[in-house]
Amino acid sequence: MSNYHELKQKNLVWKLIAYVVMIIFTVLTIGPLIWLLYSSFKPHIDIIHNIFAFPASFYTDNFVQAWKLGRLGIYMLNSIFYSVAATSITTFLALAAGYAFAKFKYRISGFFYFFFIMGLLITVHSVLVPLFVMETKLGIDDTRLGVLLPYVAFGLPMLIYLATAYIKGIPDSLEEAAVIDGAGYLTIFRTVIVPMAAPVTATMIIFSFLGNWNEFVFVLTLTSKTSLRSLPVGVNAFAAGQTMNYGVQFAALVIATAPMIIFYLLFHKQLAKGFAAGALKE
Amino acid sequence: MTEKTLKKVSYAALTAPSILIYAFIIIFPILFSLSLSFTEWTGFGTPKFVGLEQYVRMFTDSVFLHGLRNNLLVVGISVFGQIPLGFVLAYIIYRQLVKATGFFETMIFLPITIAAVVVAILWAQIFSPAGLYTALMRRIYDDPRYVLKIFENKTWAMLPVLFVILWMYTGMYMIIFIANMQKISPSVIEASIIDGASEGQILGRVILPSMVNIIFTTAVLAISGSLKSFDLIYAMTSGGPAHYTEVIAIYMYVNTFKYYNYGFGSAVSIVIVILSLGLILLVRSVFRRFEEKYE
Amino acid sequence: MKKALFTMAVLLISAAFVFAGGKQGQGAEGPITLSMFEYENLTGPEAGNWEIMLGTFYASHPDIKLDIEYGFDEPYHNKLQAMAVAGQLPDIMFLWPLKRTGEVTGSGQIKDLTPWIEGHESEFVEGALAPQGSKPTDKIYELPEQMTSTHVMFTNNKLLKDLGLSIPKTFDDLLAQGDKIRGAGLIPIAMANKAGWQMQSCFLSTLTERAGGMEWFRNAVDGNNASFTDPEFINALSVIDTLAKNEMFSPGLNQTGYGQGVTDFSNEQAVYHIDGGWRVNAYVISLTPEQKEYVSLETFPDIPNQKGKSGSTAAVVGTGYGMNEKLEGARADAAWDWIWYYSGPVGSAIRQGFGAIPAYKLPAPANVDLMIKKLIEFWDGRPLGYVIDAVLDGEGMNVLHPALQEMILGDKTPQQVAEEYEAWVAANDSARK
Repeated sequence: MSNYHELKQKNLVWKLIAYVVMIIFTVLTIGPLIWLLYSSFKPHIDIIHNIFAFPASFYTDNFVQAWKLGRLGIYMLNSIFYSVAATSITTFLALAAGYAFAKFKYRISGFFYFFFIMGLLITVHSVLVPLFVMETKLGIDDTRLGVLLPYVAFGLPMLIYLATAYIKGIPDSLEEAAVIDGAGYLTIFRTVIVPMAAPVTATMIIFSFLGNWNEFVFVLTLTSKTSLRSLPVGVNAFAAGQTMNYGVQFAALVIATAPMIIFYLLFHKQLAKGFAAGALKE
Repeated sequence: MTEKTLKKVSYAALTAPSILIYAFIIIFPILFSLSLSFTEWTGFGTPKFVGLEQYVRMFTDSVFLHGLRNNLLVVGISVFGQIPLGFVLAYIIYRQLVKATGFFETMIFLPITIAAVVVAILWAQIFSPAGLYTALMRRIYDDPRYVLKIFENKTWAMLPVLFVILWMYTGMYMIIFIANMQKISPSVIEASIIDGASEGQILGRVILPSMVNIIFTTAVLAISGSLKSFDLIYAMTSGGPAHYTEVIAIYMYVNTFKYYNYGFGSAVSIVIVILSLGLILLVRSVFRRFEEKYE
Repeated sequence: MKKALFTMAVLLISAAFVFAGGKQGQGAEGPITLSMFEYENLTGPEAGNWEIMLGTFYASHPDIKLDIEYGFDEPYHNKLQAMAVAGQLPDIMFLWPLKRTGEVTGSGQIKDLTPWIEGHESEFVEGALAPQGSKPTDKIYELPEQMTSTHVMFTNNKLLKDLGLSIPKTFDDLLAQGDKIRGAGLIPIAMANKAGWQMQSCFLSTLTERAGGMEWFRNAVDGNNASFTDPEFINALSVIDTLAKNEMFSPGLNQTGYGQGVTDFSNEQAVYHIDGGWRVNAYVISLTPEQKEYVSLETFPDIPNQKGKSGSTAAVVGTGYGMNEKLEGARADAAWDWIWYYSGPVGSAIRQGFGAIPAYKLPAPANVDLMIKKLIEFWDGRPLGYVIDAVLDGEGMNVLHPALQEMILGDKTPQQVAEEYEAWVAANDSARK
């Protein structure tokens, strides 16, 4: 066909454009990160003198300083605690609610479901002030509980959305089989729903963990004690302008970023699937 | 206990904790916010009722209005920047117009895993007078006094901020689009190639129509996300210089937590909520019309 | 998987309560335990100094134990305010004189330290024990640790000599130096104004005194037949405006993060650096011994139509510790022990070594860094003026700082800045009420 050559030519042009776009994007994306990484191994003076240069040697003092001064050890622990705790609680509650909404044919479920979906549209700041005032009056401000509750509350909408959509897809026959065996609802939940929901649970966990780990505003506002704060807030202290040591600042950024990047590189397939699953049901 | 009661109790047990926490953290505070927005309060003593005064004050404050404009810019770049860009990237990967798609996909998604604060500090550093970009430009222009002047321009100061927002979130939309494109049955694509369709035609006649729904979803995500944007901008410029890059979330934060105007801050919060809802409903109606076109 | 989920959830929920973070504990018998809220940048260079202060205190006061919570910058003030609102202030806290923590000191929850200070007044520098608080009262809520100068013009005399210049006597002299300095690829005056307060605190305040003199300044603050739209204030603003228009500042000054000025000056990229006296601490660390020889501490040269005093700087009584009104008897005495330790003879001597100029009168120390010596000399006999954000409301700064930035960026004239600020002050400031 004479069309074939034309097609091939056209495709070549498209392909070229495609490559250019991709490469530009990738360079823009990773470039700064790579620069950040190797710059963190340079002492402050070297960074000032030549901002582009590769480090002369493996200057690890920045990391030591950042870790110590920035109390990054405590912040890391707190980040881990908040993320793990909030993620587990939210996932568990979302699975439970998802089961209820998906399988118990009550009309009121529709109302509750909508109620939660609205939460996706609510920005953190709408509740920040009253939440702060409320927590202060109740005495739970500046406590771990005071941070966990908002994390869970804001995590629920998305996770309930994912859970409900998925659980709807679990065949009723499985439940009926369990009922015949004499199982009560909570047993069904434990033995049928939760195992069957493993894929979406994995997605929920990853999604939730990512959001919680990077959360900044709540911890900034609702806590003041160093012993309670998390990495994003701790890292922000290095931006506060009192720092003149870029090397240490960069090291702090690397420390704050590395866990998530590693986590991502290991689990990115699951994450992608999660976005697909979540976005599919529209 | 009867069958029916057992069912009700189980339902309650499954949903109550979520509903209670949610109501406590979100619903109740919003209502509280609403009532506070009609008062003046510094936290000490009892709030003083002032009617709509806070709202009037807000809408007559040029700083707030400028912030609002900036928010709309962010919404704009999210909906008209991130989504098309994400779509293009997704398309390239899906149609395998390049090799090593896995590699590209992973790399472009990477920025999302980084905390907004870290992204902000990184880019603030890069754009600062002592930063990477400035150093590069100084070499290129051979001008040792070069600085990124755009920050000093009231109209365009948001540009670098918008760029960073784009950098950070485009990958997410790319992934969503890829996943949805993969739903399209490959045989349809093959058929159109055999029929002699060009790349452009494949894009317009096959891919796009099936993506209308998902584009709507992403638009909603983008809008709610951009009205929320606080972390990134706050850590990058704190809304400066001179309020040039301030968005209403920062405006609210500063007035509430720096100057202790809780009544005023609540009024701003309520406006943010209404704004989100309003914009999303707007997008919804626009998309209803698109849907009709493609049905 | 399911069992793990269950047990994990249960464990974590209980852990959440356990780990819910504690509130202040009560003191036990024996050593007196006091709760303290400390203002400290634990990532900054001064953190080490704090450890030394604490250590020395504990060594000499084994019967007192301090339960310390740390905060810095905005979060510190937010938390302090929240604690005051909830009526849950700690036993000892770090306070500002005048406006910065005015709501807290004015809330009646801070003890007046006057009875304890009685008899010691003459041991302090003049002006250090002026009444504090958000309204003029006779009370002293915190014992100032130092006097702070917010305006110092650090000068690199070697660069000046290399360029064939000398320390300018007048504003016009300084302007004339601009071309030569820029021609050599250097920055005339390094400053970092991203946060906006530096221009007001470290420069405008001093210029205001120079332009109008202290009597006028006081009257403008009080609204006593003077205001900020007077030609004096506009003159002060115009100085900054002229400097900006003549490219005398660091390029990108309003985007520059706060430490950059020191960096530029230390790298000899700038001839002058305007910052607060506290910067001396940074220079102790970042300047080489040779550099310390030829760096001098000056103030801005005379400005046209100067009604104030030549060589004046803006100064403010420093921060210090105060105690909770609720403390009585032995606990109050213990709190005073700390306060007196820190701002009195013992602590002041230690802090002198760190470069502080204590409010407590002490002879100049022998073995201190050259830069600190220079700072002490700087203070000697120097006329002082107000710092604007110490005598006027903080919320007004939200109007003044951006307006200043806009003026520097060329979007506003000095006249407009003056009018905008005066309008706010007249309508809202507590000094005018």
